[in-house]
Amino acid sequence: MEHQEYQERLALHALDALDAEEARALEDHLQACAQCRAELIELRDAAGLLAHASTPAAPGSEVRARILANSHAERQPASAAQVIAMPRRATKLWPNLIRLAAGVAFVALLVGVIVFWRRDVKSRQEIAQLSRQVNTQQHELVRDRDVLARQREALALLNSPNAKKMELTAGQTAQNARGTFVYDQKTGRAILMAEGLPATPADKAYELWFIPKGHSPMAGRMFTIDASGHAMLPEQMPAEAMENAVIAITLEPKKGSAVPTGAIYLTSPSS
Amino acid sequence: MPAEPAKIPDADLLHAIARNDEAALSACYDRYRLILFGLILRILHDREEAEDCLQEVFLQVWRRSRDFDESRGRAFTWLVTIARSRALDRLRASGSRLRLATEAAQVPRDEVGDAAEEAVQSEQGAVVRRALAELPEEQRRTLLLAYFEGLTQTEIAARLGDPLGTVKTRTRSGMMKLRELLQGKLRE
Repeated sequence: MEHQEYQERLALHALDALDAEEARALEDHLQACAQCRAELIELRDAAGLLAHASTPAAPGSEVRARILANSHAERQPASAAQVIAMPRRATKLWPNLIRLAAGVAFVALLVGVIVFWRRDVKSRQEIAQLSRQVNTQQHELVRDRDVLARQREALALLNSPNAKKMELTAGQTAQNARGTFVYDQKTGRAILMAEGLPATPADKAYELWFIPKGHSPMAGRMFTIDASGHAMLPEQMPAEAMENAVIAITLEPKKGSAVPTGAIYLTSPSS
Repeated sequence: MPAEPAKIPDADLLHAIARNDEAALSACYDRYRLILFGLILRILHDREEAEDCLQEVFLQVWRRSRDFDESRGRAFTWLVTIARSRALDRLRASGSRLRLATEAAQVPRDEVGDAAEEAVQSEQGAVVRRALAELPEEQRRTLLLAYFEGLTQTEIAARLGDPLGTVKTRTRSGMMKLRELLQGKLRE
């Protein structure tokens, strides 16, 4: 098919209105055609403004609180990744049925508790052990998924034509430590890979710093290392740090510092 | 965060969210809750479900803001795309299109939000509505069906009883005209 025929489909694609087959063919063409990619961006920006055609409406004030509570809960270091269930209100359509179901469930639970009480200690221990195993495995699964996602992101970043790589060398404090910091000079997406860092005390964590020329240090993310002394941390470069910034890692109180206070563990060469 | 979040460009707000900045997330929520909730409500026609959906949208913003790439479009587009996709997913999952037909478009008007924020957004809304009003009726209708009901060209043709080719031409002409009329806004 000709470039022009694809180009004519861009407007429909911007609204996601192409049929699946046509959308796939166009996506293939887009991979190869920068002109169409640029035009699609413009058309999508225009389509996005159609949102303004709806009447603005205010959500209930508790929605804000729910969102902030959830995001706060998720903010914990990624190693402790956890899935937070979204609080959902029961639908108002069947309140009686739900109450009845809750009643039945409660009775079932009570019966269950009594049955379990009457079982011997050994089977209870087995159950406890099994559930501990399940918990551990779930935890590992979540962690593996997280690691995989980070590795995938690192690969994509390393492949980017705009990637800039900085070697980080050890300060006096941990001479075996080394690290690499790679960032996309266009988007500022970055990743830190470090190894050989000593394990952190329970009340401390490593903190990443961006020190742009003539600026005071800007705090990046906090992180800890895994059992083998490795760390892989996705970051977003502050705009001020995109040119000529020094990257440094210090040991700080776990809740983070606004300015570096601890010893320097890794640093990029100052240019 | 500086005292006046309204002055931070959208893109910087998303970058700050990517750095786990909770204040940036609440600033982003405060800035866009009215327009995004209006959009979701228009798609779903159900307040409770729309609120759940809005919550899901901001959780996705919190988790995925690192994926935002300024070179691939405006921050506003990134936000509304998430909101529209999540809402349309729910619409499809609940099969609530049937309900849509019966409930008609009775979107409840609600408590008024922050006056200044609302003024800015209704001003933008007025610009878009004016642009839409300049399009021929059939073009406008096609665009709105695609955007708010998530219909494909084939579905639109079936719904309106028009030939597929006609629907394609109308959508394209409508989008081209809209882009031209909104060009100034896109560069802001």
